[in-house]
Amino acid sequence: MIKLNEHKEPQHSVTSQRYLTPNKVTVFMSQHLGSPAELIVKPGDEILRGQIIAKTTGFVSANVHSPVTGKVLKVEYAKHPILKHAEAVIIGPDYTKPRVNFKPKDTIKFSKEEILNIIKESGIVGMGGATFPTHVKLMPKSPVDTLIINGSECEPYLATDCRVMLEYTNEILKGVEILAKLLDVKTVIFGIAENKPRAIKLFEETIENGKYDFPLVKIAELNAGYPQGGEKQLINIVTKRKVPPRGLPMDVGCVVHNVGTCLAVYDAVYKGKPFIERLVTFCGDALKEPKNVWVTIGTNLKELFDSNILEFKTAPKKIICGGPMMGIALDSLDYPIIKGSGGFVFLSHDEAEVPETPCLSCSRCVDVCPMNLLPNEFVRAVKAGEYELLEDMNLIDCMECGCCVYSCPAKIPVVHYVRMGKQFLRNHAVKEKK
Amino acid sequence: MYNISSSPHLRVKLDTRSVMLNVILGLLPVTAAAVFFFRVPAVYIILNCIITAILTEWLVLKMRGVNPLSNTSYGSLKDLSAVVTGLLLALILPPAVKWYAATLGTVFAIAVVKHIFGGLGCNIFNPALMGRLFLMIAYPKMLTTFYEPFSVDVVSKATPLALYKFSSQFVSLKSLFLGNISGSIGETSALCILIGGIYLLLRKIADWRIPLTMFGVVLAVTIIMGTINPLSGSLFFHLLSGGLLLGMFFMATDPATSPVTKLGRYVFGAGCGLIIIIIRYWGGYPEGVMFSILFMNALTPLINRYTKPKRFGER
Repeated sequence: MIKLNEHKEPQHSVTSQRYLTPNKVTVFMSQHLGSPAELIVKPGDEILRGQIIAKTTGFVSANVHSPVTGKVLKVEYAKHPILKHAEAVIIGPDYTKPRVNFKPKDTIKFSKEEILNIIKESGIVGMGGATFPTHVKLMPKSPVDTLIINGSECEPYLATDCRVMLEYTNEILKGVEILAKLLDVKTVIFGIAENKPRAIKLFEETIENGKYDFPLVKIAELNAGYPQGGEKQLINIVTKRKVPPRGLPMDVGCVVHNVGTCLAVYDAVYKGKPFIERLVTFCGDALKEPKNVWVTIGTNLKELFDSNILEFKTAPKKIICGGPMMGIALDSLDYPIIKGSGGFVFLSHDEAEVPETPCLSCSRCVDVCPMNLLPNEFVRAVKAGEYELLEDMNLIDCMECGCCVYSCPAKIPVVHYVRMGKQFLRNHAVKEKK
Repeated sequence: MYNISSSPHLRVKLDTRSVMLNVILGLLPVTAAAVFFFRVPAVYIILNCIITAILTEWLVLKMRGVNPLSNTSYGSLKDLSAVVTGLLLALILPPAVKWYAATLGTVFAIAVVKHIFGGLGCNIFNPALMGRLFLMIAYPKMLTTFYEPFSVDVVSKATPLALYKFSSQFVSLKSLFLGNISGSIGETSALCILIGGIYLLLRKIADWRIPLTMFGVVLAVTIIMGTINPLSGSLFFHLLSGGLLLGMFFMATDPATSPVTKLGRYVFGAGCGLIIIIIRYWGGYPEGVMFSILFMNALTPLINRYTKPKRFGER
């Protein structure tokens, strides 16, 4: 675990605003972990806001909905912030048509299966960044007794979790109520980082005053540093349980959901609204002012600048999709917002632009590795081309959190080498199969 | 077009150069003590070793076909590691060492011990200690002749540990603490070494685990030996004399030659402490810090292998 300069202000205190009328949206079939959804519309089709345009194609997959009412212009391969290029539907919105308002449902009468089905149909994926389809996590194969709500947001700069906790406290708690009931857990633990004291206080008060049908509730104030919001780390901090290597949280009776996901579940179950909008933090020293904006999925980043929602103060040197520790650097502004885009950081300088120097074996990487691996040995093995060693070194267990790279005085991009090594292991496994 | 690179996009400010600069800062008090106690000869030795180290590093990097002033995969003059090696070697040489011996030892440390094994971070043995070992074999008499501080004409005088070992005499603890004793130029003042050493630990430049177990083992065994044989010297005598303090703060904690695992660093420190004690009490030499650290340097890869941390969640 490491302590980072958090850069959370002023984003933490900026009230969210809305930009829900994009000129064009680009909706990808693949914006979740798992198999891409299958397209069910074709160019020329008139579609409605919230209509399913692509269906799940397997156990781990999620539906994709149209975020606007309008016409399908074309289906093409578009620039994807994570996959480089991926199949997408380009939709031209038509704001002359009446806006689709979602009808609240009388969910009290619904059975567990029906509620689970609503969540599945709504295309909700984990909002913490990994975008794992939420309904899959709600069908654990082994018994689960603890539901952990992740409000740690340990990536520097990002503030969406903090904002939804402050602005939608009741809705999140209602969402948690649904999840707790579906999973039939004995305990609900909220893990909230100490750098969000207002959120912690608000949750404590709201839970005390509100009437929520919770089992045992606990609020854990997290102060371990980065990456305390990592699923395995969070479980360890709040329950002392350790998920075994390559295991899942349910192996130790836990399920972790992000606060944003709880809000999305509330919207889907109580309001009948699928996952078509999300809160995104835009910040960094190259922006005039940081903003938290509700945007429709598929809005182009560039459009936010064209419509003056965002303004540059200085020319950015680096644009990061996600947080600066695990996010992806973008080569241009021409990228659509996807379900997993929690934030964009615009930096006028690039700390990573430093030459790599020889490893001193100073062991700082080993000391900070939250998975207790030996990052220095990964680098040595990958550089020497000794890929067969990588499996014994448990390279696969590396979650690429970046603590080693951050701490390295020799400025070695360890995670880059780890990715090279993993790529080799993947190629190797494919060859073995053949 | 914006910068693209693999995540993470943040870096700590600390770099190799500042690590080395901090080590030099940590060595400043003891360097000052060396100059104070041994006057002009100490200045000559220190300048000789540092300049030779820089020139050798420059030459070897040239020979390896890289620009010594740029960042290369073998190291660079800019990272100041050569200055650290030169200064460390100077501090563990006796004041009467001849100029050519100091020069030769430094050349050996940089060219052979450091660069033949791959350069910065790749060396198996601590270059400064290896340089001294080389000189001890090449010039055994010169390297075991010491004299008292401030002496105008050079009258040889045994070190406190040698006095104890070969003639059962003890030096006052106050002299040991302040450094007013005969010995290698940078090993006499326990006070100044402690100041620098604690600075390194506080700045987290050196890891505390190695000094802890190294000091702990020497302390424990000395207490036991003291109870068995009260004539074996007081506790503080063993802890303050010889190269123990300088070795444990500045040599044993050399990152390249000590283990990377936390458990390994405890083992490494304990091993150093044990070998020091064995040599001091039962060995042929009065002092064993140099041998102990070099011996444990050789064991470092093995220690790393057997002290691998358990993966998160592994039982």
